[in-house]
Amino acid sequence: MNSLERVLATIPGNDTDYQPFMMVNSLIGARLINCDTFEYYHNPNLYFEGQKAVVEAFDPDLIITPFAFPLEAAAFGSELIYLPNYAPNVRKPIITELSQIDRLPELDYDNSPIIHYFLKSTNLIYETYKGQKALVSPIASPCDLPVLLMGTEMWIDTLLFHPKEVERIMKKMVKHFVRFGNELLANGATILGIPNDFLNLKMVTKKMFDSLYPYVADAFSQIKGPIAVHNGGYKVMSVIGDLAKLPNVAALFIENTESFDEARRIVGDKMVLMGNFNGPNFNNYSPERAKEITLKILNNRKNDKHFIFSTSNADIPFNTPVETIKVVVDTIRGFKKYS
Amino acid sequence: MDAEEKQDMIANFINEGEKDDAVRLLLEWSYQTSFKDVIFNVLEPMLTKWGKLWMQGKLSLAHGYLSGKVAEEFYLHASKDPEFTITSAKSKGTIILGNVEDDFHPLGRRLVSIYSQASGWNVIDLGNDVPAELFIEKAIENDASIIAVSAMMFTTAKNILKVRQELEKNSLSGKIKLAVGGAVFKLRPELVAEVGGDDTAATAMGASDLFDRLLKSIHS
Repeated sequence: MNSLERVLATIPGNDTDYQPFMMVNSLIGARLINCDTFEYYHNPNLYFEGQKAVVEAFDPDLIITPFAFPLEAAAFGSELIYLPNYAPNVRKPIITELSQIDRLPELDYDNSPIIHYFLKSTNLIYETYKGQKALVSPIASPCDLPVLLMGTEMWIDTLLFHPKEVERIMKKMVKHFVRFGNELLANGATILGIPNDFLNLKMVTKKMFDSLYPYVADAFSQIKGPIAVHNGGYKVMSVIGDLAKLPNVAALFIENTESFDEARRIVGDKMVLMGNFNGPNFNNYSPERAKEITLKILNNRKNDKHFIFSTSNADIPFNTPVETIKVVVDTIRGFKKYS
Repeated sequence: MDAEEKQDMIANFINEGEKDDAVRLLLEWSYQTSFKDVIFNVLEPMLTKWGKLWMQGKLSLAHGYLSGKVAEEFYLHASKDPEFTITSAKSKGTIILGNVEDDFHPLGRRLVSIYSQASGWNVIDLGNDVPAELFIEKAIENDASIIAVSAMMFTTAKNILKVRQELEKNSLSGKIKLAVGGAVFKLRPELVAEVGGDDTAATAMGASDLFDRLLKSIHS
């Protein structure tokens, strides 16, 4: 059984030879090939080399394509900041007043260097691992991308007090999401990985949630492939039932302190569940502690055939010791899932 | 109607996103009694209650933003009332607040400003992208004991170190405390010390308690 088969088996709930797993290890590829992060997030060949090194070191069942939502915002004009050992972040959003929504550029998907970077990285990984590995492509949710285009405060304010502007920007966001998401799938992504921080009651009121949900549902319904809804950096249990009902959702991540048993009670037995090892905290765990957490998760999901072990939350930090990650991988590999 | 019922009414309006109705009602009550009465018996207790709920994860960031907007608009009216000046009424001290150099994410800073003012601090908000030297200059000019610096991301949080260096350069460490805050410090608590911060708070609502602690540490 290869990785792709192992991952796909979780959808119908077939037996696998061992527990399938992935890690949000987009950034750490740069470290494994000793590459400057600016170059890594600009050059698809370097990203590909980084992920090849990830496969050689850890052999995950799912490979992650570039995880850098700010780059998507940069395609629209937001200004980025780069620091060594970190993924890029938005320094200055492109929209500073609501009238600028109408001036957001239409992306040229055939010629945009940023879009090319994402698609080419995905395609290079796909061409090398097709039929062997599953590819998960992170993409900004249409309800979250505005944060990177106008900042959190302005997006909250817009959602609360400017419904017409919400309609205008969401129309553009949905259009972009559908086109970009389907391009990623066409270039080899097996599944899209999408956090929805603005469909989370830690971020928004129920009223705001209800107003954004139909846009996200509309966008998801136009995606020609499966979607894994990621937890972002938040707990999702209070909305997991609603997230599970979004079109094309095949998998759901939960946060590292949440309960898979509770998630199962809400979403039923068939939905693929993912998580819940705390990725951003990886570099703070000793190998022994990492093994202990991994075993706890594996034992909890021992008989769950619709489960993929994964890190939750953001990327694994750049400086995470390779040995600690390997301990987690070896623990997963050595675990007797059905005995 | 007692004060608690009034607090609940305002909370309900905010919960529904009805900012204007909440402000209108607060103003109506103020004209019936006084701004001081409404601030001390309705708005501040409600904000404190919400602050606790927010810290327990029972309210969203948008709730915090909305309640802040209501307070901000209402305080603006109150500040025009000759019989009531918030800062002179019960100022605990002066805070120099701003987003660190290169940081353009104002939400946390603005909430700190609103909630700290509601708790009796005189806040001088320098806005986004503030150079280290300006924090020090304004702290000296206003005889402030606390500089509070906000950064959302790791990439910008590192610039806070420049504020610490400026404090050192002017022999002000220990006399002026450096409070740091922002999403990144929740994810990486060890960063507080790395960037030279004296302490942090988990949420904007907790900033006033943090300032109390820091001020006490200067005087102890």
